[in-house]
Amino acid sequence: MPARIPFWNIEAAWVFYLLAALALALFGLGLALNLARWRPGFAWGGFRAARLKAVLADALLGRRIWRGDVAAGLMHALILLGFLGLFLGTCLVALDHYLVSFLQGRLYLATSALWEVCGLALTIGLAWALVRRYLLRVPRLERRPADALLPAWLLAIALSGFLVEAARIAASGADWERWSFLGWGLSGLFGPASAPAAHAVLWWVHAGLSLGLIAWLPYSRLFHALAAPVNLYFQDEPQALADLSLPPDQVREFSHRHFLALDACTRCGRCVEACPSARAGEPLAPRGFVQDARRYTRLKYSLLARIPWLRQRQRQELSTRPTIDPAQAWYCTTCAACAEVCPVQAGPIELIRQVRSSLVEQGSTVPPLLAQSLERLAKYQNPWLAKKGQKAAWAKGLDLPDLAKGDQAGLLYFVGCTTSLDTRAQGLAKGLSAVLEHCGVEFGTLGKAEPCCGDIARRVGENGLFEEQREDLSGLLADIGVREVVTSSPHCHRSLSHDYALARVRDGLAGPLPFRARHYSQVLAELVDQGRLVFPDGLAVKATFHDPCYLARHTGEVRAPRRVLGAIPGLELVEMADHGRNGLCCGGGGGRMWHELPGQGHLARARLEQAVATGASLVVTACPLCLIMLEDARKAGGFEDRLAVRDLNEVVCLALGLEGGANPF
Amino acid sequence: MEILVLAKQVPETAEADLEITRDGADVEREDLVYTINEWDNYAVEEAVRLKEEHGGAVTVLTLGDEEAEDVLRRGLAMGCDQAIHLNDEAFLGSDPATVVRAMVKALGGRRFDLILCGVQSADQGQGQTGVLLAQALGLPYASLAVGLKLVEGGLVITRELEANTLEEVALPLPALVTVQSGLNQPRYVSIMGIRKVRGMAIEGHDAEGLDLAGQVGPEAACLAARRLSLPETGAGAEILSGSLEAVCARAAGIIREKGGLK
Ligand code: SF4
Ligand code: SF4
Repeated sequence: MPARIPFWNIEAAWVFYLLAALALALFGLGLALNLARWRPGFAWGGFRAARLKAVLADALLGRRIWRGDVAAGLMHALILLGFLGLFLGTCLVALDHYLVSFLQGRLYLATSALWEVCGLALTIGLAWALVRRYLLRVPRLERRPADALLPAWLLAIALSGFLVEAARIAASGADWERWSFLGWGLSGLFGPASAPAAHAVLWWVHAGLSLGLIAWLPYSRLFHALAAPVNLYFQDEPQALADLSLPPDQVREFSHRHFLALDACTRCGRCVEACPSARAGEPLAPRGFVQDARRYTRLKYSLLARIPWLRQRQRQELSTRPTIDPAQAWYCTTCAACAEVCPVQAGPIELIRQVRSSLVEQGSTVPPLLAQSLERLAKYQNPWLAKKGQKAAWAKGLDLPDLAKGDQAGLLYFVGCTTSLDTRAQGLAKGLSAVLEHCGVEFGTLGKAEPCCGDIARRVGENGLFEEQREDLSGLLADIGVREVVTSSPHCHRSLSHDYALARVRDGLAGPLPFRARHYSQVLAELVDQGRLVFPDGLAVKATFHDPCYLARHTGEVRAPRRVLGAIPGLELVEMADHGRNGLCCGGGGGRMWHELPGQGHLARARLEQAVATGASLVVTACPLCLIMLEDARKAGGFEDRLAVRDLNEVVCLALGLEGGANPF
Repeated sequence: MEILVLAKQVPETAEADLEITRDGADVEREDLVYTINEWDNYAVEEAVRLKEEHGGAVTVLTLGDEEAEDVLRRGLAMGCDQAIHLNDEAFLGSDPATVVRAMVKALGGRRFDLILCGVQSADQGQGQTGVLLAQALGLPYASLAVGLKLVEGGLVITRELEANTLEEVALPLPALVTVQSGLNQPRYVSIMGIRKVRGMAIEGHDAEGLDLAGQVGPEAACLAARRLSLPETGAGAEILSGSLEAVCARAAGIIREKGGLK
């Protein structure tokens, strides 16, 4: 009857068991070392079906890998499914051999055929991976010696597996072995006389390579196969919010979520391709940053350092080997492009924020201009002017209700520091006020008393300042009893909705935030949907929309601004090469608006080049920082004759014929 | 190495719109923000760097009211080990000699290898406290330091003189050095950093405890501010107005006329 005879033609099986035990011991040690890093702070949090679903979709089906790169998705699917199939097959054989015997007859034949398919898939996938890396030379892939080793090793396992099979078939010659169609085809390579000897040699090669892989796995990049699913499972758990309950000296540099993400990284380089800073030739290397952090933390938080003589060596290595390059951390605009494209949710944005927190706390490497801005932020509630009381100057003559002084209105317009103080960005505030008034929406502001929401502090890692500002503003909003907030800036919006909610959870407060914060584009879109914002006259212009990162990616809102623009008759909207959730950052986020860095690139200029390529004459955006960055690049980069840059509100005002700081283009 | 560093709390005035009080003897302080005197900040940074490099301890000292404690907390957050607070409203308005007398009493014979302080304060700007303290303690001193090096047997100080001249002087230790701005790049002090030192003890002294009751403050001062005034816009000043383009064109024209652009 067709069946597999384990250890057929193999002498000294005990050697195999010995090697297997060794391999498993090394695997176990590696696993323990990694798990030990994940453990402190790790909270299972109960089983959640939604999380499991995300893992199945993202890890098993590779949803995030297919996205944007079908060739890579195919490669990964072939390797993963082939590998898993063969792994399961091997488990079945072991089960059959050691526990209950069931793999016989037709079932065995069907399984053998399936193994052939899996082996073939694995081989093709690996070959395709090598072709992509070395013949097609896909730019984002690295080509260091180590990068060839893993696929070559796996390929050697697959090929030696086929050869073992072929030699076995050549030696036994049973007709039902046709089901192992590839092995059957290859069996002609071996003569009946030499087959048994060749089989034995190949079997040991195959076994050795396979056991070697098991031993090496937790130390290699293949460890992502275990770490990535875990990281994906916890992807909705925030990576970092300062834990204020801990005594300051017990605050850890990194959390278990960072370690998980670091171990999940596969070095695929998608973040490198997406990162606006890296694209502009700045020193920030997102993948390199992740890998440096991985090496550094593996060394620094190694379980082995508990052994005294290993601790000596660890100390020595930590002091001599290059670690994380802190200077790189300041280039990040916190645009989240890396997080968007990373197939395993390991993009460095959160890691960078964490490194910044350490640098801010340590203090001496904070870039001087940024330090100055932070000091202003703490003293004057804005990073721009060393003056209190200028915040309401833009609204002079508008006579807006001041909610901080007891006036009433159903909607609080949270203007934000930049929008109220920068002369260019004030156009946004004036525009929105005019539009809201036009639509009959009652709203008020906090006037002079409006504090900073804490966005800048949070993005640059000044956690203490963020907490102070969050407490101040939350208190003020609670005192007034605010329930609806609209913000100028997607940054304020993100802080008020997301970061404030995180803090609420951290502080153990029940229920949602007492107010709902929306970005103004969402409010305008709602007014369009309700038929309250209509455009009787058109505006004949070809326009393109620059998605603010904090709106499109951090908040996931790409529809609202397009809904508003789409409602203006005559306005033709064309999209840039990178748009929506894949939009390209203007370079103003993450605190970069407030300092200068050596070797700084022209991020906004690159964006305007994309805009010019669409043939549009107008770039519309919906964020004060984008507005300033793009406007500056327009002037400095020689785009003045080709493009105008406007805030969405200004365009709406123009289409409605309203005054609101709107200049025609 | 034992280091003492003096730090004063001053109002931040560089970008504020200053107003004179009704009696004309002070500026309106209502809207002003208080912070560490810029020069003293360099001194604290230098002291902490010396400690980090050579070991020892840094003590930071201030004289002022309750609020002035912020300056000490800031110093502790930067890395100072101890803080002394001459804490009494009565000290406010004292002249430099009185301030130094109080400090000497509070120090009560404690010895330091090095005393650092800013060359002057941003509010009064008399530039006397450092040198008077050196006199009172009988220490050699150097002022206007823009460079400070610890060498065998003492210090080498680079002093900033008129017209871009630098002077190098050697001092034996113990000594006192007053620090010019730009000596180093002071570190950023985070809110978390200040929270961390919230619980550290601060040594406090008031006028009575120092046997100085009635001998400090404006009454005991040998000088008093009579009248403050804001500088008038002089005849040489020309305020440009008009559109941004016109203002810029005119400004460029003036710079060219005066030979600033060749
Ligand atoms: S962080 Fe993510 S996108 Fe970047 S190399 Fe690692 S796995 Fe790829
Ligand atoms: S957040 Fe943006 S700028 Fe920062 S590393 Fe990621 S892609 Fe680069």
